[in-house]
Amino acid sequence: MKHLLKKIAMLAVAGGIAASAQASPEADREAFQNFYKNRFASVPMEEYPNGVYSIDPVGRENWEAIEEFPPYETFIDDGQEMWEKPFANGKTYKDCFADGPAIAGIYPLWDKKNGMVMTLPLALNKCREANGEKPLKYKKGAINAITSYIAFASRGQKTNVIIPKDDPRALEAYEKGKKFYYTRRGQLNFSCANCHLQNAGMKIRSEVLGPALGHTTHFPIYRSKWGGMGTLHRRVTGCNKQVRAKPFKAQGEQYRNLEYFLTYMSNGLELNGPGARK
Amino acid sequence: MQNKMIGYVMILAVLLFGGLSTAQAAKAPNPEAAKVERMIADADKARKRAASVEGEWRDVGKMLKKAKAALAKGDYKTAKKLAAKAKSQSEMGYIQAVAQKDLKMPSYLKY
Amino acid sequence: MTISTKLLGMASAGVLLAGQLALVPVASASDPSMVEEGKALAFTRKKGNCLACHIMAGGKAAGNIAPPLGAMQSRYKSKAELKAQIADATVKNPETSMPPFGRHKILSDAEIDKVVEFVWSL
Ligand code: HEC
Ligand code: HEC
Repeated sequence: MKHLLKKIAMLAVAGGIAASAQASPEADREAFQNFYKNRFASVPMEEYPNGVYSIDPVGRENWEAIEEFPPYETFIDDGQEMWEKPFANGKTYKDCFADGPAIAGIYPLWDKKNGMVMTLPLALNKCREANGEKPLKYKKGAINAITSYIAFASRGQKTNVIIPKDDPRALEAYEKGKKFYYTRRGQLNFSCANCHLQNAGMKIRSEVLGPALGHTTHFPIYRSKWGGMGTLHRRVTGCNKQVRAKPFKAQGEQYRNLEYFLTYMSNGLELNGPGARK
Repeated sequence: MQNKMIGYVMILAVLLFGGLSTAQAAKAPNPEAAKVERMIADADKARKRAASVEGEWRDVGKMLKKAKAALAKGDYKTAKKLAAKAKSQSEMGYIQAVAQKDLKMPSYLKY
Repeated sequence: MTISTKLLGMASAGVLLAGQLALVPVASASDPSMVEEGKALAFTRKKGNCLACHIMAGGKAAGNIAPPLGAMQSRYKSKAELKAQIADATVKNPETSMPPFGRHKILSDAEIDKVVEFVWSL
């Protein structure tokens, strides 16, 4: 009996030390969202999908002006055309995605059969390949048209990433994404969290660092800096490069797991893609 | 007529220069070149090791490419400098990643 | 010219020497040319880019992640102590967002010495 008590006490201590490193995804999400609630007490939760403009009134004015004539509009139209135009074999995207086009809300999801995180761009290419079409590139180009159309059709859905309990690999993928997020990289030694949590709301040179909450709700984005549209993985590539880390492959395992974690952090937030950013 | 001449001259030039450069490469093994080559290979090994723990830095690949180009041109000094830098950055990237093997959550996140 | 400023002059002339000098306690008089070079290194984006985070006298478009750099001589007992902060800020604060300029060779040792001279003069 004494022995058992000692064991329990030891377990509790060990658990206490590692609590946050091994917390449940729900505890992670709460801590994450509470961090911003405390820092930006006057910003309502529904604002975070607007990214840095939820906390930067100067940038926001400019952004609202841009949103009057959204630069992504033509991409939505092109995407609709892609969605409706039959593949060479006569089938369409609809044959792969019966609930389409408003399907953004279910991604990223755990693909149990393949033991991996399935993202929307990856699923779209799977569909194309199954129908004898060439896959689209994952950062620039037409992938942004089709995902713009889908994002637009999915506006108003809520982020709701599910980590199924019946496959431990799903939680593992989430944990890997979480580890990625808090790991310092590159010569400049930054983790994603250094900029988007620790220093959110501060200025690096003249650029305001935006909160990570809501980071996944509005992709793809039209970026003035790019003069075009890009996927989430294109954006993350840029954030890796600016700290002088070698970026990972778009839609490779690292970025998919990262997306799984990061999107989970925004569970409950409304989808509002496509977006426009500086 | 003139066109033909130009053609001949060009063929000659290609033969000459092409021949020259292969002759150069085949020249008795240059110990300095061999040393630089080893340095580059070493640095690439270090790069792969860093990549294996997801710790590769952005410019290492570029440095190695430039080092190889410098070596090919016989600019050993530049090639050595770049290879050494690529190796050093790879080692730092490796150490950086391994030091964070166990995730430590930042203290500003309150659980 | 005092011996120490002569030494400093030599250090900025010869990179090799500077590496060795770093082991010797850094002289406290500031060589104006070193201060100027240090300022350029501190402000340049591809080098120190200290302005990304610190407001510093004479610098434009500075960020506000970190405390403004000024009155350094009242904050630090010696240049060596200041140098340690710039070389690897994670020693004092493992969670800092300041890049480890020395540990990761973002700046060379000789370059950090110049930056120290400049920051010390603020
Ligand atoms: C050196 C600071 C820095 C680091 C480190 C950094 N970012 Fe960023 N990131 C920025 C800045 C600046 C912006 C543009 C302003 C904003 O939206 O925050 C940005 C924007 C983004 C955006 C787009 C936001 C939007 O609303 O569209 C995403 C997504 C993002 N970062 C993800 C990441 C991820 C993931 C990591 C880690 C791999 C990371 N960032 C690391 C500075 C950084
Ligand atoms: C990415 C942001 C960032 C950059 C770039 C940066 N620092 Fe810092 N620095 C910080 C932060 C944050 C602190 C606050 C203390 C800490 O967290 O280590 C700091 C603290 C300092 C301090 C201590 C200040 C004091 O009052 O004790 C000095 C000195 C300093 N930095 C010098 C520099 C110099 C010189 C450079 C450029 C070569 C530089 N920093 C670049 C973020 C930065």
